[in-house]
Amino acid sequence: MMLNQPHSKLTHAPERQKNRVYPENVAFLYKQAAEKFGALPAFATRESTLNWKPVSYRELYEQGLNLATGLIELGVQARDHVGLFGDNRFEWILSDCAVQVCGAADVPRGRDITDQELYYIIDHAGIKVTFVETEELQSRVMKMKHRLAKLQTVILLDPKGRTMEGATHLSEVIDMGAKMRLQGDKRAEARMLDIKPDDLFTLIYTSGTTGKPKGVMLTHANMMSQVRNLPGKYDMTDRVISVLPIWHIFERVVEMFTISFGGCTYYSGINTLGDDMRNVEPTFMASAPRLWEKLHERIIKNIKAAHPMRQILFHTAYFLAKQYFISKQFITNQNLKLNHETLWKRLILLPFHVVRWVLVLPWYGFFNAAVLERVRLGAGGSLKETISGGGALPLHIDRFFNYVGIPVLEGYGMTETCPVISFRTADNMVIGTVGPPIAETEVKIVDPETEEVLYPNAGKSYDGKAVRGEIWVKGPQVMKGYYKDTELTSRTIVDGWLRTGDLGMVTHNNSLKILGRSKSTIVLSSGENVEPEPLELRLKESIFIEQCMVVGQDKKFLGALIVPALNEFKQAGFEVQTIDSLATNPDALRIIKEDIRRMISSNNGFKPYEQIRDFRVLPIQFQVGEELTNLFKVKRHVVEKKFNQFIDEIYSKG
Amino acid sequence: MEFTTQLLFAHDQVLLALMIFFIMLGMGASLTIDDFKAVFRQPKGVLIGFVSQFGLMPLFALVLATVLNLHPFFAIALILIGCLPGGTTSNMFTYFSRGSVALSVTMTTASTVMALIMMPILLNLYTSGFIAQISAELQAAGAQGEFVIPTGNIISSLIMVLVPVGLGMIIKRKSPTWAKTAEDTAGFVGLLVIVYLLGTAFVRHGGLFIQTPWQVYAGAVGIGLVGFFFGYWMSRLLGMDPIYQRAISLETGIQNGPLSFAIILLSFAEPMQSPMVWLAILFSTFIVISSSIITLYYRRVGRFDWNVYKNTVIHNRLFGKEFVTHYPPGFLPARLERDPSQGSAVSQRRS
Repeated sequence: MMLNQPHSKLTHAPERQKNRVYPENVAFLYKQAAEKFGALPAFATRESTLNWKPVSYRELYEQGLNLATGLIELGVQARDHVGLFGDNRFEWILSDCAVQVCGAADVPRGRDITDQELYYIIDHAGIKVTFVETEELQSRVMKMKHRLAKLQTVILLDPKGRTMEGATHLSEVIDMGAKMRLQGDKRAEARMLDIKPDDLFTLIYTSGTTGKPKGVMLTHANMMSQVRNLPGKYDMTDRVISVLPIWHIFERVVEMFTISFGGCTYYSGINTLGDDMRNVEPTFMASAPRLWEKLHERIIKNIKAAHPMRQILFHTAYFLAKQYFISKQFITNQNLKLNHETLWKRLILLPFHVVRWVLVLPWYGFFNAAVLERVRLGAGGSLKETISGGGALPLHIDRFFNYVGIPVLEGYGMTETCPVISFRTADNMVIGTVGPPIAETEVKIVDPETEEVLYPNAGKSYDGKAVRGEIWVKGPQVMKGYYKDTELTSRTIVDGWLRTGDLGMVTHNNSLKILGRSKSTIVLSSGENVEPEPLELRLKESIFIEQCMVVGQDKKFLGALIVPALNEFKQAGFEVQTIDSLATNPDALRIIKEDIRRMISSNNGFKPYEQIRDFRVLPIQFQVGEELTNLFKVKRHVVEKKFNQFIDEIYSKG
Repeated sequence: MEFTTQLLFAHDQVLLALMIFFIMLGMGASLTIDDFKAVFRQPKGVLIGFVSQFGLMPLFALVLATVLNLHPFFAIALILIGCLPGGTTSNMFTYFSRGSVALSVTMTTASTVMALIMMPILLNLYTSGFIAQISAELQAAGAQGEFVIPTGNIISSLIMVLVPVGLGMIIKRKSPTWAKTAEDTAGFVGLLVIVYLLGTAFVRHGGLFIQTPWQVYAGAVGIGLVGFFFGYWMSRLLGMDPIYQRAISLETGIQNGPLSFAIILLSFAEPMQSPMVWLAILFSTFIVISSSIITLYYRRVGRFDWNVYKNTVIHNRLFGKEFVTHYPPGFLPARLERDPSQGSAVSQRRS
């Protein structure tokens, strides 16, 4: 018995549901769905508000087979990498279906990819055949084609687009494949039988500011574990809205999950989302914090513009819903437990919550029905649940939607884990956490410096619950590795445990709480990943900036904390003795502001989201042992904690 | 049992009158002319509703009153409640029980209009036995003359109540936002007044809750439950689709409570008034509780039917009226196989 190393709670895959398919690989997912769901609509494309074009499961698979045969004819081998550059649309899914049927893997990225990245990815992944969504992407790829020795074929997806000389149109490849299949070509069907669970179904390059994008290798087994382990009961009557970028693995998993239960995915867009939610009345969707922030903003604006009587009704309803929800959470043991809750404390508080719950119930019942239902209709009114991922959901937004009865479940994951590690479920709704790990998934909390296991650790009180450390994950969703980078892979995955680089803890009711990053990567609320070090290096090129730290985790934009170079300011004629006085000197601030602008601008190759929109000048210098390590590296979480107030100020304007 | 105290003081009556006004205004504010026309679009549903509301309910009220051996005052109140048309509350409960709100609204509208004719006839018909009993008691006590149901007063109070309904409809035409506010406020006002009446009854006549014989409670609770039960089974046996079964069931059980207050206050004098009002208060209280429970139950059992209905309706909304949703064989239960849209889309009907 390993008494000192108890295993974390590991749950088995949920029981198989009757009206779903559980295939072994993604190609079979398309195939079995076509056999099982046949004429039901699989994907719908918006043509106007109330005019959508559906494509059935059978059609999708048939076209997929045709396209796959065409691809095979074009020379796509099993386990090849096929480029797939574009945003959400039916043709994307069709291309994915064909690539899977061929036994190949796709390499997806969105329209906003830069030329640099495009070149790097096509070259690094050894892409021979690539899909491009738009004419614009087509011309960009065609321009660099002569530099890419391996690239042979460029296929344009847009049905209305015109192909350039040397490129092919999707419809031509489909037609070619269809003809060959009519003549008895069965190569596509044969390819599917040869797919191994350990083969890649996709190779996703994550964006990074500097250096090179990393190619995350995800296998059929990874994807199928997600499809089988995502909780919730869904069937052919469910509707799913797609609005997050499809090349992000989170949206993709949700679309594959939807195929497995025969629901229909409706392609919406950020500009039409409000209307589409009301017309499609989705029952499930993948979402991101920004969506909920926007919807929250709109709801609050509507309430402020409403009749005073209705405002009173809303505020009363919200107040009651809050009391009701908090007491319900306490009674069902789903309150946030960062400290151990002693039995007597619970015994004292329990009657209070039970009484409050009972007293509030009838009033809540009425207001919930008469007032809050109308708020819910803003999101279609039929949402069973929605997972929010890709960044931390601000607590007040999280609470707002859960109080009014729109179950926004915050989840946690990363591309390297295909992506879901944990999320809140209907029975485990601890607000402020990302829920328990999903089935078949183990999580441990490890000291990032010493690598000592903090949780689960029988030597610690309560097994090490509520102790902060780095989150490590083990499970069937953990990637195969980084493409052509065994060194990075072996640093990231140790004995099957993936080091997430995130800090977190396990609460006393077994939910995971995320507490920031141990790695320095900043994830903006828009989902963009930013490596701060190169930006900081660049900023320090200004003679007036001695030290700095870029911040913006889960925020809309980047900000910076600046330690000014006192001597330089003195030489420039400033009559100052301390850094402190520089912080309030408007001329000094103006100089720093100009330098930041100059250093990081789109003119010298930085993307819009990498620009520093605001900054604060710190009153002191960073000290070794305090804010700096012995190697003069900034200890990011120390600075974040110490100058929390400055960071809050940057973002206080929203 | 005898009521020795007067239940309502003058200011309570004013409050009650205001509540009736607001609720009826709210009811009007939720209606349009189109809702009246809709009666002809769903003749079957409306007809079944008519039979259960004006055929079954008064009859059940009479049976309940007789079986429970209620005092004539309570018996007449119970029959009066049985003869009432549906109220807007049923529309809200139908919405949350995943039933057809359209049918619920149509039935409410139709029954409110029909009540003008049906109520006086039914009341006279079903209360005749109890009236004879009261008259006999009166004569035994040495009083002159006979007791009669004040038919004229009932009709005029019905018409008076319809005035704010009409007013509400005008508001709706003029300003939909005001109408929405009126609608929301109405429900809240109704809830507050019922709680106020219960509270004051408790404070002023604390013993009343104990003095009231169990039969009266049974009658107040039972009439709603009987309505839910028979409304559901009758529509089901007559082959209505599940979403209509739930609507008819709730519409039959939930009566227009405020209307009963108006009729009682305007048409009946003491010593009858207080016990009748008391029964109406009890009914209004218990119907909210029992409808909530029934709604939660329907919501649960009707979930699958509703999901199928919703999905099919949305397919027709987005993919065109001709779109047919083909679920794989064996997925739909027999009750939905014939028409997964449950009467909402012509294209979904299978021969």
